[in-house]
Amino acid sequence: MTRENLQKAFLTLVLIIVFGLPLILRSPTYLHILVLLYLYAYLTTSWNLVGGFAGVLPLGHAAFFGIGAYTSTVLYVQYGVSPWFGMVLGGVLASITGVMIGLPTFKMRGAYFALATIAFGEGMRVMVENIDHLGPFNINGPRGLQIPPLNVGLANLMFTNKEPYYYIILVMLIAVLAVTYFISRSRLGYYLNAGGEEPEAAMSLGVNVARCKLIAMAMSSFLTALAGSFYAQFSLFIHPKSVISLDLSFEIAFIALIGGRGSIVGPVLGALLLRPVSDFSRIYFGATLPGLHLIIFGMVLILVMIYLPRGLQQPLTKAYNGLLNRLDRRSR
Amino acid sequence: MAILELRNLIKAFGGLRAVDGLSLAIEEGQILGLIGPNGAGKSTAFNCIAGVYPPSSGEVYFCGEKTNNQKPWDLCRKGLARTFQIVKPFASKSLLYNVMVGSFSRTKKRSKAEEKALAVLKSLHLDVKKDMNSGNLTIADRKKLEIGRALATEPRLLLLDEVMAGLRPTEVDEMVAVIRNLRDSGITIFLIEHIMRAIMALSDRIVVIHYGKKICEGTPKEVADDERVIKAYLGEDYGVS
Repeated sequence: MTRENLQKAFLTLVLIIVFGLPLILRSPTYLHILVLLYLYAYLTTSWNLVGGFAGVLPLGHAAFFGIGAYTSTVLYVQYGVSPWFGMVLGGVLASITGVMIGLPTFKMRGAYFALATIAFGEGMRVMVENIDHLGPFNINGPRGLQIPPLNVGLANLMFTNKEPYYYIILVMLIAVLAVTYFISRSRLGYYLNAGGEEPEAAMSLGVNVARCKLIAMAMSSFLTALAGSFYAQFSLFIHPKSVISLDLSFEIAFIALIGGRGSIVGPVLGALLLRPVSDFSRIYFGATLPGLHLIIFGMVLILVMIYLPRGLQQPLTKAYNGLLNRLDRRSR
Repeated sequence: MAILELRNLIKAFGGLRAVDGLSLAIEEGQILGLIGPNGAGKSTAFNCIAGVYPPSSGEVYFCGEKTNNQKPWDLCRKGLARTFQIVKPFASKSLLYNVMVGSFSRTKKRSKAEEKALAVLKSLHLDVKKDMNSGNLTIADRKKLEIGRALATEPRLLLLDEVMAGLRPTEVDEMVAVIRNLRDSGITIFLIEHIMRAIMALSDRIVVIHYGKKICEGTPKEVADDERVIKAYLGEDYGVS
């Protein structure tokens, strides 16, 4: 088999496994954990368009997640609009917000950009916590919104069992990974990387760095908001602390940094490693050591930053390529 | 028609006039050298031409069009490319990747950009190293890579900011040959350089600036014999005998 065929075979195998998993794994608890794992992999991959390719560190993506969650929920609960439509509308709103945040903040460098985005995300949370009615919309302040589990079905993105959620988020994850793959090989991907690494040199080579970053931000916030709507329909209860929290923004960045920023597989690897840690530490140590997973994350992050600055994908990609080469040579 | 013309260009940083009333013109197909002691304002002049800073006053004309407040990326599309005195490779990426960033300015298609980039790398004899990480290159190769990236944007005018600084004599000779080839392929070249041997051999004309002002202009021979130039470089006390 040639290298290309090997890669295709490997990819097919992974797809068969992930699509077949719910047939073997019947426990709703495990499916729930997997749905959240894919959700975080999806969120981090969306974040990666800005945080990885464009070389900045946004720490306010929970705001976009919240915009998505609240838009679809308010429209569905109060007006009966299908969450699928609310999802797209939330994405558009988040996209506009993302560009408005990006316009002034992309001029800032390093930590200042990160701080500005934290301030934006937290400002948003505090605002939502303190507002009951936003114009005609009832957002119910800190008490949050519940979605009554009636009229279940695909049209309302609501199901009584976990499997449909599993497949929807899986398809979303595959789609966002495909988008990232194509962008990384396109002119935009080259321009984002160049502008992130050496903005002055990139500009002299014809790259409008600020515009590229804004395009990336618009896409990233759009995709993040879609996940917000999905999460709202999945948990059927949202409140500011759950969908616009700083913890969420940080966890996305943690996963990206540990998995490997700017690579395609990095966010997935990061989620694959960190999500189970977080879930199982909550299951087994939730009563005695709440927050244990954050300590573990912190330690892993420190170790990764010291020994593998490009994240866990670095040694794994190398091993994977080595394996492909060996198989390739053997078959010749 | 002059491809580039500066009219009374001034760039002030606070009270300091880094470029102070500089006027010059380059004809198409020429090599113009810009020399001057450290801090004379050479790189600042380049930055004003390339759109990094807007000039404080005066005018920059590129291909007959006033380009004072245009941005670097727009000027690049119009055919102006440059290298940096302190090289700025995209260090985590391969040489091919670096050059493709440049060639993407003329095409959206990846295959075309790659083809163009490979051709440029081959012309600079860097094609064997195309997959190397650009952060691991020697200084001579980094300088060549800077030129390669700029060439991939298909420039009409190329600004070279000290591309020979830090090179060994054999590497300087090689670079001189590279620059001659570029001119023969129809690219106008404006270069800043401290290595006199190179700039004397290459330039059709040389402009000398000191404290942001032009103190002399002429052929390499005229400039080398000019008393003001010798004084600017060696100090007032240096007697010419």
